[in-house]
Amino acid sequence: MHARLSPFILVSASKCIGCRVCELACSAAHQRGGVSVGSLQVPLSPRLYLTSVNNVRVPIGCRHCEDAPCAEVCPNNAIIHTTEGVQVEEDRCVGCKTCLAVCPVGAMEMAQVWKRGKPAMRRVVDPSAPGGVRYEPASLASKCDLCRGREGGPACVDACPEKALTLVDPIEVKRRRNFEAALALSRTYEEV
Amino acid sequence: MSTQVVSIDPMLCTGCRRCADVCPVDAIVGRRNEPQTIDASRCVLCGQCVLTCAAFMSPFDDGAELLPEMLRKRGLAEDDTAPLFAANFRIDRKKVAGMLTDPEKTTMVQCAPAVRVSIAEEFGKAPGTLSPGKLAASLRRLGFDYVYDTIFAADVTVMEESSELLQRMESGGTLPMFTSCCPGWVRHVETAWPDLIPHLSSCKSPQQMAGALFKSYGADQVGKTAGEIASVAVMPCTAKKGEAERPEMQNDGFANVDAVLTVTELAAMLKEKGIDLDSLPEEEFDAPLGLYSGAGTIFGASGGVMEAALRTAIAVTSGKDVDESGVAFVESEEEPGVFRASVEVAGKTVRGVIVSGLAHVAPVLEAVRSGNADFEFVEVMCCEGGCVAGGGQPKLLPGVDVADAVARRRKGLHDHDRELPVRAAHRNPAVKALYENFLQKPLGERSHKLLHTHYGKEAGRHE
Repeated sequence: MHARLSPFILVSASKCIGCRVCELACSAAHQRGGVSVGSLQVPLSPRLYLTSVNNVRVPIGCRHCEDAPCAEVCPNNAIIHTTEGVQVEEDRCVGCKTCLAVCPVGAMEMAQVWKRGKPAMRRVVDPSAPGGVRYEPASLASKCDLCRGREGGPACVDACPEKALTLVDPIEVKRRRNFEAALALSRTYEEV
Repeated sequence: MSTQVVSIDPMLCTGCRRCADVCPVDAIVGRRNEPQTIDASRCVLCGQCVLTCAAFMSPFDDGAELLPEMLRKRGLAEDDTAPLFAANFRIDRKKVAGMLTDPEKTTMVQCAPAVRVSIAEEFGKAPGTLSPGKLAASLRRLGFDYVYDTIFAADVTVMEESSELLQRMESGGTLPMFTSCCPGWVRHVETAWPDLIPHLSSCKSPQQMAGALFKSYGADQVGKTAGEIASVAVMPCTAKKGEAERPEMQNDGFANVDAVLTVTELAAMLKEKGIDLDSLPEEEFDAPLGLYSGAGTIFGASGGVMEAALRTAIAVTSGKDVDESGVAFVESEEEPGVFRASVEVAGKTVRGVIVSGLAHVAPVLEAVRSGNADFEFVEVMCCEGGCVAGGGQPKLLPGVDVADAVARRRKGLHDHDRELPVRAAHRNPAVKALYENFLQKPLGERSHKLLHTHYGKEAGRHE
């Protein structure tokens, strides 16, 4: 049990225009490169997903659940609840997709992982190869990590032209709501 | 080539309409949340929509399996890792690669001024990093036979255009005269203000002047005929692709420019060949069509054409050979993007107006149309800040300050101008030689044939 509730990114569906800047900024924040799209060294792989249904467009990403089902079901202990939210340890992930199956919002993806400009590889048993194994690019569990270590916080929040994304600290929200309620009540009392 | 230069892929467009916010001519048509289309009768091919669009094909999208096919349709390799965005411009890499491997062709490439202050961004460097030497080296590594420079032709444009302005002022020609270097601007006059076409300078743009000279003077220099030359341009601009295809832009049946690559296309070609710009040595552009002055260099920043023309006009008419005109153009609060100043040339006052960004041009043109223009010379650049902000420049990632990047690229060009030994077009020795040995004089018979054209209402060519 952590002392603090995990922060998460909340999206205002009424503000979202579906431009996908959040996905682009997210992808870029997780790889090396300069200022331009062309300077990125590996393919884009967003960790939140613009989703359209009827007339609603909104990016969906990890809520950093307190009792995270993904962490609960991971057979390899690759998903852990930390002070920086729910995080995937890619080195431990085997790509079993159990997390993907249980996530209540569909925040998990199996994505190709790149390390130092090269795809992360996985070892596959192959009786026909010398030594009986071969290596191939791995698809591993990938999801919002709240841009862990990024100065300025999550890139998607920074980039949204409509300010539709907010990094919510639940404890702060609760405190603010309590203050607002207290003030409202005090006014009501005075008026009555 | 008949494929549309700038288009929006309905498969990828989400209908956010951020492109409509940056389109200076309201050419983006469509309802919110639905794929947008481009009104070809208004579009000036500036590519600002391409720079803004963030709607890309994510590997997790429905239809992501179609990516290889979509890449192929766009003229890219199936294993290209570059993201595909909804708003895009035509890729001409294959066409250029074909010219480079064609044994029948001698390839001559030109490079616009604004390319040398932005291409390094595609290799991880900061905006505005100046890299002319590495750029020349990279084009040589790609296999171009002659690595020339658009700035040489920009210097020639100064000679022709300043002479044309003085001639119009002396002979009572149509004034004010409009610059004609920017194809987005020219197209806007043709499509939206056709009655003002006579105000456009008859000069071809530097891109087209360079191409015309490659296939005449340049071909003579290397012992080839026009038909044996493949003329390629590297531009910060998407509209240059359209300009090169205009039927007016040819001589003796040969197109002045056969193919146009944007900065991003060139960077991608270099990467495909494993050429790392940063680790290349500094090399010179080839002589004589690659030798340039500081005046031509600043064509890539708005205000630069005016300043370059003034340097030469002042020198030619007063004998005062200046490095900088010293004329400060001032932006008024009521007219953002519009800068004004006046200067004495040949005993007459030339009042100049610089417009940076097509979105700001209407009041200036209204004044001309209504006969209330109190100025003689107008420079307009379609993209705000000039070619440094063109639609073929590196597409900046979200969160990167675009205005700051454009300012840095502008500064890069002005720094380059200051460090060059020759800073006025008429003092460029290669330009002097061109006139002595070939053109004879500005506005002469040969200049007229090769370097001047006529503009007209030929809208709708953007199929």
